[in-house]
Amino acid sequence: MHSPLATDRHALRVRGVAKAYGGAQALDGVTLNVEAGTIHALLGGNGSGKSTLIKILAGVVSADSGQLVIGGVQREAKAQTPAHARAGGLLFVHQQQSTFPQLSVAENLVLGGRYETGLAGRIKWSALRRRAQRVLEQYGIDVDPRTELGRLNPATQTLVTIARALQDREEAFGGVLVLDEPTARLPRREVDGLLANLQRYAEAGQTIVYVTHRLDEVHQVAHTATVLRDGRAVASLGRAQFDRDELVTLIAGRSLTAPTRPTSGSSQDAPAAEVVLEAKGLGIDAEPLCLRAGEVVGVAGLIGSGRTRLLRRIFGLGAAAHDQVSVSGKQVAGSSVRAAMRAGIAYVPEDRTADAAFADLSITRNISVADLGSYARWRGFDQRAEKARAAALMTSFQIRGRSAELTIAALSGGNQQKVVLARWLQRRPKVLLLDEPSQGVDVGARAEIHALIRRAVDEGAAALLVSSDFAELAAVADRVFIMRNGRIVTEIRASELSEDALTAAVYQHGAQQ
Amino acid sequence: MIDPVPTPVRPEPDRQPKARRRSRHALLGFLEAYTLLILLVVAAVFFSVYGKTADTFPTAANLQILVSSQAVTAIVALAALVPLVCNEFDLSVGAVTGLSAVMSASLLSDSMNVLLALAVGVALGVAIGLVNALLVTRMGVNGVITTLGTATVLGGVVVQKTGGIAVDSNIPKAVTDFGSLNALGIPRVAFAMVLVALVVYYLLEHTPLGRQIYALGSNRAAAELVGIRTSFVLAATFVLAGGLSAVAGVIYVARAGGADPGVGEAFTLPALAAAFLSAAAVKPGKYNVGGTLVAIFFLAVLNNGLNLAGAPPYVTSYVNGAALVVGVALAASLHRQRASTGRRATAADTEAV
Repeated sequence: MHSPLATDRHALRVRGVAKAYGGAQALDGVTLNVEAGTIHALLGGNGSGKSTLIKILAGVVSADSGQLVIGGVQREAKAQTPAHARAGGLLFVHQQQSTFPQLSVAENLVLGGRYETGLAGRIKWSALRRRAQRVLEQYGIDVDPRTELGRLNPATQTLVTIARALQDREEAFGGVLVLDEPTARLPRREVDGLLANLQRYAEAGQTIVYVTHRLDEVHQVAHTATVLRDGRAVASLGRAQFDRDELVTLIAGRSLTAPTRPTSGSSQDAPAAEVVLEAKGLGIDAEPLCLRAGEVVGVAGLIGSGRTRLLRRIFGLGAAAHDQVSVSGKQVAGSSVRAAMRAGIAYVPEDRTADAAFADLSITRNISVADLGSYARWRGFDQRAEKARAAALMTSFQIRGRSAELTIAALSGGNQQKVVLARWLQRRPKVLLLDEPSQGVDVGARAEIHALIRRAVDEGAAALLVSSDFAELAAVADRVFIMRNGRIVTEIRASELSEDALTAAVYQHGAQQ
Repeated sequence: MIDPVPTPVRPEPDRQPKARRRSRHALLGFLEAYTLLILLVVAAVFFSVYGKTADTFPTAANLQILVSSQAVTAIVALAALVPLVCNEFDLSVGAVTGLSAVMSASLLSDSMNVLLALAVGVALGVAIGLVNALLVTRMGVNGVITTLGTATVLGGVVVQKTGGIAVDSNIPKAVTDFGSLNALGIPRVAFAMVLVALVVYYLLEHTPLGRQIYALGSNRAAAELVGIRTSFVLAATFVLAGGLSAVAGVIYVARAGGADPGVGEAFTLPALAAAFLSAAAVKPGKYNVGGTLVAIFFLAVLNNGLNLAGAPPYVTSYVNGAALVVGVALAASLHRQRASTGRRATAADTEAV
């Protein structure tokens, strides 16, 4: 299976690659080796230089120094071009999928290549379908090529994207496949299927560089790993050396203590605290859903189980006619976002770019937008107070940006998310609804976000936290609701809460009710 | 307050290139904001010294004509600016101006009380703005289609009302005086224009409604989720556009001493062009009041100067069209350059974290 060219058993070598953006050293002499037919995990926080390294491999950013050896061919890293990357067999599959959900799987596989056409330019649909069938079988994807891609689950869509990238190799599993966080948006069960496929590809000889924030996946599939921090490769590890705590420490450059949760018998003590949220008919078996001051309540469930919809109904979006939400015993009048906000409810939506960030407005304006009324004066808008508050929040929320007048788009994902949190927490909400607040955010920012949530809750709020990451829920939540088919079916209490218990509860069919 | 995690010590990058990059960034920012204003000054200076126009351009009389002739267009442009901030094009601004002018003029001809006649004209504009607003927010019709439709209907109304003949008899002297006389050496209509500009500026920059309008233009879904009544805000922008266009209409009556039935439509494109060009000046990337005025007067000085220099009339069309495209393209290219130096400066700050 291995290429005869590869007298070197390494499919990819990176030697001393450096890159500076002006004064900042994004990469500072990074060296890493990826053996052919293995899965190599590339780890690191935001700003560690991961993306820069990938861009250099792809030839879209030119390095300052160093060499690349791809499939036995050595080249100065600064001379790398997209054409060289393609010729060397480097394939990239990015987080943002370049697929067409409304077209069939077969068409998605052929796009970018050529449609076979017959008379009068007619597309030979049956030939197309047969070819697609072959590709799908080769890469172990069990779907009908005529299915509309958007109807498949997200993990299968990712597999189709990978198959599309791989299909045109001379050998089925040649070259180096670079996967940039393919699982960031996938729920756990789907991830397992995807990872199993990757393992099969590696066994067949495929070399894979796997970028991820999810450390459990590293344990599951990677043979070797490199950890980048501040532009340097701080560790190169073999499978035997993978240790979760060790990896976190390497990535963060400091040991992160998980935010502390009141441990002993907190669920027994909880009834003493005030009920801040009561939502009729939304709890287990159409009982009321209740949140108490000081608790973070998790929500787990597969994609499509109704987690987001639950939060939106509480926030007055698309609520059913009989929904009744009370905050601190007072019923929210009418169902609208404004009524929910007045009652003290805050909502951080899942898709930051589409639903939360005002990309071309300044950080200041992104923060003040949820509380504009408080700056209205008879003589006009109090811009000084607005700026002062934004500056204070940037400091206390550790938002790292040069100035509050920069557009929010200039910040990294984690810092953008902290801006969105600051926007809501400045209102001192009683109920905090959070939909995947730490998705696609590096380990450090994630810990900061968790600490901010805990701080708000300690001051008397209650939080409802939706997450696909069970490790996060187990670490942060006091108890967790499990959702299935649009309803909360059960609750996992603090005493039983663990990653395994969540996995079991979410995937178990017909769990005890 | 708890401190979530200790801030790590940043490696110290070399200062020199960073400082230079920042100053380059600042220079590009300045150019991006003021290129159009600089060009306006350059054009004015040029026509003041250029042989053919040196005697005519920099005279008080010419400058008074220049300012008063642009007052109406500027107000129509400010009207178009308000919905444009929400990314909505109001193509009916010119037609509303025309209708309000014709209606006010004919009421004045019928010897109605002056203030009442003008008030009716403005109220009509507000009403048409409301119709646009309801069609867009309640019926969900696309804004361009809605306003194209109302503009076309209004054109018909004007012709039906006037029979295609200008309404210019019996306009009270008080009205025409306002349109033609100066106060303190400045045309009176210029004061009206400045007043409208200040009102729109105050509204957009110094009221919560203005902030909401900008938020809506930036991300409508997110605006909804922070409790902004998006339909109400959107509707308000169309109503304001209708009202302001109608104000432009009554000022036009004062300037022209009557109303020509064909005049309204002629304002639509220059006004929208200036409103659009405003994102290329003063506050780059944002449609804004200052930029709108700069754009209006840049084009006016060019046209006036070329006119005085004896250029044939069609040159005006070339200049207006080219200025719009070149202005926006230039601003976009400066913005791209600044964004890339800015990203590098920010990357330098955050990569190290």
